[in-house]
Amino acid sequence: MTSKHELRNDVESFLFDEAELLDNWKLPEWASLFTADGKYEVASMSSDQPLRDDPATSIFIISDDREEITLRTDRLMKKTAHCEYPHSKTRHLVSNVRAREDGGQILAKSNFATYRTKEGRTSLYMGEAHYVLQRAGESFRICQKRCALDLDTLNDQGRLTIIL
Amino acid sequence: MPFKSVAFERLVDVDRAKGRFRINREAYKSQEVFDREKSQIFDKCWLYLGHKSEIVNPGDFVRRTVAGRNLIFTRDRGGEVRALVNACTHRGASICRETKGNARTFTCPYHGWTFDLTGKLVSTFSNEGYRADLNEAGRLNLPVPPKLENYRGFYFVNYNPKAIPLVDFLAGAKDAIDSYCDQAEDGEDGLYVLKGEHAYSINANYKFLVENSYDGYHVIPTHISYLDYLKDRAAGTAQEQVVADVANVFRGKGKLTCLGNGHAVLSSWVPTGRPVAYWIDRWGPEIKRHIDSNRARLIQRYGEERATYLAEMQKNLVIFPNLVFNDNVGLTIRNIEPVGPGRIHVRAWGFAHKGEDPELLKIRLDNFNNFLGPAGFGSADDIEMLELCQTGIEHSPTEWTELSKGMDTTAPDLRLQTGAPDDECQMQAYWTQWDRTMRGLDTFEQE
Repeated sequence: MTSKHELRNDVESFLFDEAELLDNWKLPEWASLFTADGKYEVASMSSDQPLRDDPATSIFIISDDREEITLRTDRLMKKTAHCEYPHSKTRHLVSNVRAREDGGQILAKSNFATYRTKEGRTSLYMGEAHYVLQRAGESFRICQKRCALDLDTLNDQGRLTIIL
Repeated sequence: MPFKSVAFERLVDVDRAKGRFRINREAYKSQEVFDREKSQIFDKCWLYLGHKSEIVNPGDFVRRTVAGRNLIFTRDRGGEVRALVNACTHRGASICRETKGNARTFTCPYHGWTFDLTGKLVSTFSNEGYRADLNEAGRLNLPVPPKLENYRGFYFVNYNPKAIPLVDFLAGAKDAIDSYCDQAEDGEDGLYVLKGEHAYSINANYKFLVENSYDGYHVIPTHISYLDYLKDRAAGTAQEQVVADVANVFRGKGKLTCLGNGHAVLSSWVPTGRPVAYWIDRWGPEIKRHIDSNRARLIQRYGEERATYLAEMQKNLVIFPNLVFNDNVGLTIRNIEPVGPGRIHVRAWGFAHKGEDPELLKIRLDNFNNFLGPAGFGSADDIEMLELCQTGIEHSPTEWTELSKGMDTTAPDLRLQTGAPDDECQMQAYWTQWDRTMRGLDTFEQE
C-alpha cells in the first residue's frame, strides 16, 4: 500500500509524462496510455455540471471512446488533417495534482493551462482534468479523462484541434 | 491603404454568355460593405432566435445575440413567446446577465428597474421624484424586435417593422424545414434541443462559412481524412467498400436545389448512415430493428419516395443570410453571427427526437461531436480553410472569386436553379439575392 504522498507523486509523474508526449506530438503513444475501454472527453462550456453530464444525452466538445481516440490521433498525424498541419506548438502545464484510491481505481484531478501556437496566433486553454486511472505495473493506464474548460466559449481560441 | 470607396452595384459580376459568375473580393473584406450589410441585409431579413423547446415553461429564458443585438428569448406567464432587448430603458445597462434560466421578472442591477416577461416596466425601485405618468404609453418598457414569428417551432425576429411574413420570406425553404421536422414521430413537437452547445469563432467573413456549409465541391478534397476515418470505422464490414466508392458516386447521387430568396439546400449522399431511417451494417442488428421501424413509419406516413428522401439523403440547408440547418447524421442548427468583415462567432445546437432509442441518440451525438464543431474531424478543417481564404483575399491582388461551376445559364432566375451536388449554383443563388438586397432592389418589405 503506497502512502497518500507517494500516490500523488506517482500520479503527478504520470501526468507530466502524458503532457510531454502531447507536447512532442507523440500522439499514438499518448493514445496507448488508455485502457481498452478508455474515454477522452471535453465537456460543453455551456454546461453547469461539466463533470456530471452524460455524453449519451448531452452535446460535448469531445466524447471519444477508445476507438475514436486512436482515430483522432491517427488523423492528427496526417498531412490531410488541415487544421493541424503544420503541427502547432503546444505547452501543457499541469499543476495542483491530487489523487486518491477508490476501490480498485485511482481518482485524480489536475489543473491545466495549455498553450497552442500556430501561424503567429497563441491561444490558451485552461481548466481542470479529472482522471480515472488504474495501475499497470509501475505506471498507470487511463480509464477516463474528462476536461472541463474554464471558458464560456471558444471565441478567443477559435477551435480545439489539439489534445488537452 | 488608401481609402477605397466600394461600388456596391458591381460586386457581383454575372456574364451568362460566358458562363461566368464571380464575386469582387471587397465583398468579403471591406468595412464599408460590412456596414451596408448590417442595414440592408441584417436589418431587413428574418434572423434565427431559437427553438420552442428551449423555453418550455413560463419564465424560461435564454440570452442570444442576433445580428449584434442582445436579446432575451422567453415565454411569458400566459405562455406567449417573447423577444426582449436586453438593455435597461433607464441608463442602458444589461438587465439579464445569465445565459439561461427561469425568471419571474428581470431586474436591472444598477437602479433596480424591474420588467415583467412581456417587457413591461413594473417597478422603478423608488417612485419619489417621478411623475405618475412616467411610463406614458409604455415608452419605458423594454424594446422588442418589431417582428417575432415562428415556423414549425423555429423562432425568428425581424428588425424591420414593415417586413413580409416569415413564411413568405422562407419561400421554398419551408419544405426543407418540413423535411427536418417530419422525421420525428411527433413531427415538430417531437424535436428538442439537446443540452450543451458548440460556441466558437472563425477569423473569416460570414459568407465564407455560408458557402462552406452547403458546398459539395469541397467534401472530398477537404475532408479526405474524415473519409479515411469513416473507412477505418467500417473496416471489415460491407460498408468499407461503400465508403471507398464515395468519390465516384457523390456527383451522381445528390442534388442542389435553390429555393428562392437566396435560400438553397444541398442533398447529398455520404455513407455515414442516418439514425432516422438509414442503417449501415456497422451498427448491428439491434439498431437495425429500431431503424427499420422508423423507416416503416416514414413510408406509411409520407409514401416510398419522400420516405427514401427523408431517410437516406443528407441535407445542408442555408437560409439567407446566415442560418444553416444540417440534417446529416444528426440534426443541427448553426447560426453565423457576423462580428466584423473578417470575424464571426458561431453557435451550434443539436436536435433529437423525443422518445428516441438511446442508441440512436448516441449515433446523433457522436456525429455532432466527431464531425461538426470546434474539435470535430470535419469542421475543424473547414475552419482552417476559411481562415486560409480570408488571409489570401486580404493580401492577394486577385480581385475576383470564381463561383461559376455548374451555372444554369438558361435559368430565368438564378435563385431558382438546380444543379449537381458539387456545383456552385446554391452560391450563385445566394449571391444573386445578396446583390439585389444590398442594392435595395429587394427589401423583403410589404407593399
